Amino acid sequence: MSNALEVTNLKASIGDLEILRGVDLTVPFGEVHAVMGPNGSGKSTLCHALMGKSDYETSGDALVDGVDIMGMTVDERARAGLFEAFQYPTEIPGVTLNDLTEAMAASNPDDDGYAARESATTKTLSMNPFRERFVNVGLSGGEKKRSEMYLLGVAKPKMAILDEIDSGLDIDAVREVAAMVEAMRSDDMGILIITHYSRILRYMDVDKVHVMVNGRIVQSGGPEVAEELESGGYTELQAANAR
Amino acid sequence: MTAPTIPGTDDPAWLAARRADASGRLDDLAMPSERDEIWRYLDLDFDPAFDSAPSQPGTVASPDELAEAWTGKIVSVIDGFVTDAGVSTVISASEPTDDGVGTDLFATAYDALAPGAVLIDGDHLGEKVFVDVQSTGAATTFPGVHVEVPAGSEASVVVRFRSASDVPAVVVPRLTANVGDNARLALTVIQDWNYQTRAMGRAVVNLGRDSGLTLSEVGLGAKIGRLHLDVNFIGHGSWAKIYGVYFGEDDQTLDYRYFMNHIGTNTRSDMFLKGAVEDDALSVFTGMIRIETTGVKTEAFQTNRNLILSSGASAQSVPNLEILANDVKCGHGSSVGPLDEDQRYYLMSRGLTPDVADRLQVRGFFEESISQIPHADLRPWIRERINMKYITAQEEGRV
Ligand SMILES: Nc1ncnc2c1ncn2[C@@H]1O[C@H](COP(=O)(O)OP(=O)(O)O)[C@@H](O)[C@H]1O
Ligand SMILES: [Mg+2]
Repeated sequence: MSNALEVTNLKASIGDLEILRGVDLTVPFGEVHAVMGPNGSGKSTLCHALMGKSDYETSGDALVDGVDIMGMTVDERARAGLFEAFQYPTEIPGVTLNDLTEAMAASNPDDDGYAARESATTKTLSMNPFRERFVNVGLSGGEKKRSEMYLLGVAKPKMAILDEIDSGLDIDAVREVAAMVEAMRSDDMGILIITHYSRILRYMDVDKVHVMVNGRIVQSGGPEVAEELESGGYTELQAANAR
Repeated sequence: MTAPTIPGTDDPAWLAARRADASGRLDDLAMPSERDEIWRYLDLDFDPAFDSAPSQPGTVASPDELAEAWTGKIVSVIDGFVTDAGVSTVISASEPTDDGVGTDLFATAYDALAPGAVLIDGDHLGEKVFVDVQSTGAATTFPGVHVEVPAGSEASVVVRFRSASDVPAVVVPRLTANVGDNARLALTVIQDWNYQTRAMGRAVVNLGRDSGLTLSEVGLGAKIGRLHLDVNFIGHGSWAKIYGVYFGEDDQTLDYRYFMNHIGTNTRSDMFLKGAVEDDALSVFTGMIRIETTGVKTEAFQTNRNLILSSGASAQSVPNLEILANDVKCGHGSSVGPLDEDQRYYLMSRGLTPDVADRLQVRGFFEESISQIPHADLRPWIRERINMKYITAQEEGRV
């Protein structure tokens, strides 16, 4: 059986700057993994390189449910089952969340589950007040994250990557987001939490933790890896894995 | 009055005098120069063909879909002639005060040749008035609309301009309004000319004490679609909100010259225009905020955002300030650029094809302005027309 995500030797660069220097990562269906790493280590670049953002030159393989996505456009990757919750969700003035989910459903005519997921996720995340508002415009940090989680619930991807879904939130909001992620866990989805701090991992069960430093995964293991990092920090790992 | 008004018959004395005076000057006037700032960027190399002005209205080819759906009063102005003045007398009986339209070639030609203007005044303010202005043939015509809002009352007027398809026409429209003390005017102007029409529009609005104007201008096309607008904030505490929406295609030029003249104290103007150009189209917005020495405590803001959708298209966006008073607040924002890459990426990451993502972005771009058009019942039609222009451009591979 194939995995939700299988990344092999993924490299990404902008001009002369090599940001990802060969990332290997596998997330099986039904599991929740975390990638931790200091600022600037390449975590967001990993998300964008997988999503297909045109800023980066990439090489290497990435499979979603066994399908090679690297040759695909951004929208094709999304329709192949990849979802990125943005660290900084883009504001779309004049376009309501409803407009967006409508367009998402229309873009995926073979999937007739949108309406049901929309009403279900609207309830669980109490999204009704936001559906007529413009996408991400004027939302607080926590509301933006909730809106991203909502779109994740509506899209129901095979593989979800959540880029710093916990950053900028107070502790109650972090707990809330952790609960949302736990609620999304299912046998037909893989989830990758990207985070700078181990805080969110205290409120959820992750199957594996990967540590990224300077564009590489330098350590992988169980939840204990996060605890070690919490006490030791990244300094030692950074020194050991300098470019 | 239902009969067309022919110049020279039953005209009030002041009008006959104005015609005579303007006719005397007209022959000596040349086409304005593009070196003159107010005409800059325009291609004025065409024959205004004033001698082609018809002596009676032509035949209208098709009824207007907007007028048909209209629930208020409708007036038709065909080739400059008021053919169905259900609302009112055609020409004000008293001489209008100096309306400050100037004495250039087009203003003078209007004064010399216009058959008359629709007058919307105090008797007709109970309902929304729709003025359907049409140009039917390859001729030069002079349609006029004058709105007189008495003190303390409200008027709601839509002026919709159109021309029969495929005929090269020159139109010199004039729109004037006096808004009395504590009065309100909601005015929507839709320029929906054919690709060969050159429309040299001129508008002046005078605002009395504590009066308010909400004006929206919708530019859906013309060879040249111009509106040179003066809003005179004469009364203390008067205000205006001005919204613009325009979409240029083909080799169209959409040209807006807006002058906010703050004379009274405590007045406020807000200009907010959003436009897009594709193919070889050009848009021009010059917004002048002029605050006289008397205009203390004026607040004046202008924003003009332009989307350039094709490499051959361009937009000129020129904010100007002339401040002669102290204690005022002004601000301006202007931008000219392509669709936003981050928005496109975000929308595509949600599974939307680039075409659908861009359509959504364009729709959102205009929504900020369309949602402010004072005549809410016109918004769906305007939204549809604008968005269809973009979708057509996509389908025909121009954007
Ligand atoms: N679009 C970009 N242009 C230039 N440099 C970039 C760009 N994106 C990322 N980088 C650089 O790549 C490195 C990794 O960035 P990023 O992936 O955002 O790190 P993280 O998400 O782990 O904080 C940083 O040094 C950053 O400055
Ligand atoms: Mg990041």
